[in-house]
Amino acid sequence: MFNQIKDLAGGEIYLITSLLMFMVFFVIVGIYLLKLNKKHIEVMSQLPIQDNQPIAYEED
Amino acid sequence: MQLEKFTYDNKIVRNFGIATLVWGIIGMTVGLLAAMQLFKPAMNMGSQYTTFGRIRPLHTNAVIFAFVGNAIFMGVYYSLQRLLKARMFSDVLSKIHFWGWQLIILSAVITLPLGFTTSHEYAELEWPIDIAITIIWVVFGVNMFGTIFKRRERHLYVAIWFYIATFVTIAVLHIVNSFELPISFMKSYYVYAGVQDALVQWWYGHNAVAFFLTTPYLGMMYYFLPKMAGRPVYSYKLSILHFWSLIFIYIWAGPHHLLYTSLPGWAQSLGVAFSIMLIAPSWGGMINGLLTLRGAWDKVREDVTLKFMVVALTAYGMATFEGPLLSLKQINGVAHFTDWIVAHVHVGALGWNGFLTFGVLYWLIPRIYKTELYSKKLAGFHFWVGTLGILFYAVPMYWAGFTQGLMWKEFTPEGLLKYPNFLATTLQIIPMHVLRSIGGALYLIGVIAMTYNLAKTMLGAKLLANEPAEAMPLSKVIIETSSADKAWHRVLERKPMKFMVLSLIIILIGGMVEMMPTFTIQSNVPTIASVKPYSALELQGRDLYIREGCVNCHSQTVRPFRSETERYGEYSKAGEFVYDHPFLWGSKRTGPDLHRIGGKYSDAWHYNHLVDPTSMSPGSIMPPYPWLIEQKLDITTTASKIRAMQTLGVPYPGDYDKRANDDLKVQAEKITLDLKQNNIKVKSDREIVAIIAYLQRLGTDIKANKETIPSNQ
Repeated sequence: MFNQIKDLAGGEIYLITSLLMFMVFFVIVGIYLLKLNKKHIEVMSQLPIQDNQPIAYEED
Repeated sequence: MQLEKFTYDNKIVRNFGIATLVWGIIGMTVGLLAAMQLFKPAMNMGSQYTTFGRIRPLHTNAVIFAFVGNAIFMGVYYSLQRLLKARMFSDVLSKIHFWGWQLIILSAVITLPLGFTTSHEYAELEWPIDIAITIIWVVFGVNMFGTIFKRRERHLYVAIWFYIATFVTIAVLHIVNSFELPISFMKSYYVYAGVQDALVQWWYGHNAVAFFLTTPYLGMMYYFLPKMAGRPVYSYKLSILHFWSLIFIYIWAGPHHLLYTSLPGWAQSLGVAFSIMLIAPSWGGMINGLLTLRGAWDKVREDVTLKFMVVALTAYGMATFEGPLLSLKQINGVAHFTDWIVAHVHVGALGWNGFLTFGVLYWLIPRIYKTELYSKKLAGFHFWVGTLGILFYAVPMYWAGFTQGLMWKEFTPEGLLKYPNFLATTLQIIPMHVLRSIGGALYLIGVIAMTYNLAKTMLGAKLLANEPAEAMPLSKVIIETSSADKAWHRVLERKPMKFMVLSLIIILIGGMVEMMPTFTIQSNVPTIASVKPYSALELQGRDLYIREGCVNCHSQTVRPFRSETERYGEYSKAGEFVYDHPFLWGSKRTGPDLHRIGGKYSDAWHYNHLVDPTSMSPGSIMPPYPWLIEQKLDITTTASKIRAMQTLGVPYPGDYDKRANDDLKVQAEKITLDLKQNNIKVKSDREIVAIIAYLQRLGTDIKANKETIPSNQ
C-alpha cells in the first residue's frame, strides 16, 4: 500500500506538500477544539431543540 | 429590548416536500426501467428516445438533482429559519428558487432523451441549462445569506456551516466543470481535453457526491436527529472536527475515479491517500449521529422516523468505509467498471439519502400541518419494504460485480484469457440483474406507499402556511461576557461572509494543488507525434456516439493489466486523448472497452451490429440502433464544429472548415463502397456511416508511432 505513495518520479513534492498542509490544518483545528469553552458548547448544542414548538396533538 | 413577533414560511417547505415526492417516484421509475433494459433489451422500446444510453443519465439526474435536490431545499428552508429565528429573507426569491429549479429539471427531462448531452457524468445538461442552474443557485445563496444576515440568533449552528459549505463548493464545482464552448443552441465542446478533462470531471463528480449528497444531508442530520430524539447531538466538538476535516479532505479524493488510467501517477496516489484519510471524518460523523441516540433506543423501537435515521446513518457508515477501500489500487483494479461500483453508490443513495429524506418527510409534514401522520402502520411497512429493497438491490449487485471483475481477469493454465468473449461475462450476471430490479421495485413500492400516506396526511388537515414565532432581536453591539467570546472561531461563527470565504479557500487549495500541475506542466501529458485530429466525418460520428450515450456502457481506456492488454490491445496513453473534447473514458463496462476497437472488425460487422447487435453477438443486451440508417447526418454543423475545435487548439489547417464537408463526403463514399462490396446498401449521407468512421478510427493512431512513448505512470 505504501508503495503507492512513494517514488512518484518527481511528483512526490505535490503529495508531501498536500499532506503537510493537511497536518498543519488539522493541528490548528485541534488547538481550537481544545480551547473551546464548555458553556458555549452547551448553548450551541441546545440550539436545534430549544425552538421546540409542540404540535397540536403533543400539547395535551 | 422587546420580543419580536414573526412567522416561519412553511409553504415553501411543503412545496419542496411535494416536489421531492413527485420527482422521487419519477426518477426511481426511470431507474427501474433502465435496470430492466439490462436484462430485457426489448424494454428499450425500439425508440431512440428511450434507449438505455439516454435513459440512464435521465435517471441519475432525476434522483440526484430532482429528488435529493428538492429534499435538500426542503430541509434547509425548514431548519435554517428555525435555527436563525427568522423568516426566509425573501418570499419572492423562495418562489423563484422553487419554480426555477423545477423548470431546470423539466428541461432535463426533455433534453436528455432527445440526446442533448455533454457526456460528463452528472453534468450532462447542455450549456443553456448550465447557465440557468448558475442563476438559480445564486438565488438560493442570496436567500440563504439574506436570512443569515437578518437572524435573531447570534451564533450559527453546525448545520448551517454544512449548508454554507454546500452552497460555496457546488458553485465552484459547477462553474469549473461547465467551461464549454457553445457551437449551437444545444451543443458545446468542453474547453478541456483528454486527461485534463477527465481530471476536472472526476474532481467534479466525486465532489458532487461530497457536497450535494453528503454535506447538506449531514447538516440536516445535525438538525433533525436531535429534534427527533429530543436530545442534543452527542458531541458538538466532534461535529466541528467533522465539518472542517470533511470539507478539507473530500475535495482531494477525486482522482480515485481514474486509477490505472493515463492520469499522472502522483495525482492518482494523492487521490488514494486522501480517500483513505476520509474514513476518519466520515465515521466521526456517523458515530456522532448514532451516539446522539444513546439512551433513546427505546424511542427507535417506537418511532418510525428514527428507524429511518438509524438505517440512513448505518448506510452512510458502510458506504464511507467501502469508498476508501475501493480507492486502494489493488481493490480498484477488480472493482472498477463493474457492478460493484453500482452497488456502492446505491448503498449511499438508497440508504443514506433516501432513508434520511423519508425520515425527515415523515417527521416534518405532520408538523407543518399540525396533525398526526395518516397511518403509522403504513410508514412501518415502508420502512421494512424499503430496507428489503436495499438488500435485494445491493447483494446481487455485489455478487455481479465480484463475478464479472474476476471473470475478466481469469487466465487458463496455458496463459490465455479464460473468457475471451466479453459477452460471456455479461450473460453470467443476468440473473443478478433480474434480482436487482426486484430490489428496486420493492424500494419504489415503499416510496409510493409513503406518498399515499403523506398525501392523506396533507389532505386531512390544513397547512399552517405562516407559523407564528417570537424571539429577541440581536443587539447591534456584541457584549462579550467572557474572554472566550473573543476566540477566533467564536468570532467567525458570528461572521457568515468570512466563514464562507474561509470554507472557499479550504476547498480551493485541494482543487488547485491537484489541477494546476496537470494543466501547466507539459511533461504530465506526453504528446505522441502520430496522434492526429479526427477527420470531419469521424468528428461528426463522435458527436453521434455522445448523443446516443454509448459512454454509459462502454469505456475508452485500457488499463495496464495483462488481462486488459490481452483482451483489448495496448494500454491507453495520455497523449492519445489530446484532441478529445470531451474525454469519453466512461466509468462502467456493461459492454467491452472500445479504445482499441478501430480496425478490429470490418465496416460491415459494425453496420450489422449497430442495426441488430444480436446478429453479430448472439445474446447481446445492447439495444439496436435502426434509426442510424434512416436519419441523415446533419452536415450543416461541420464547419462550426471544426472552427470550435480550432479555437480550442486542435491543429486543423487554417481553412479546413471550408473544405471539411468535401473531405467528409469522400470518406463517407469510401465506407459506403466497402459496405456495398459486402452486400449492404446504404446511402453515404446516413448517420451510421459517420459512427462507423469514428469507431474504426478509435485507438489506431498509435499503431503508426515509431518512437517510444514516455511513461507517465
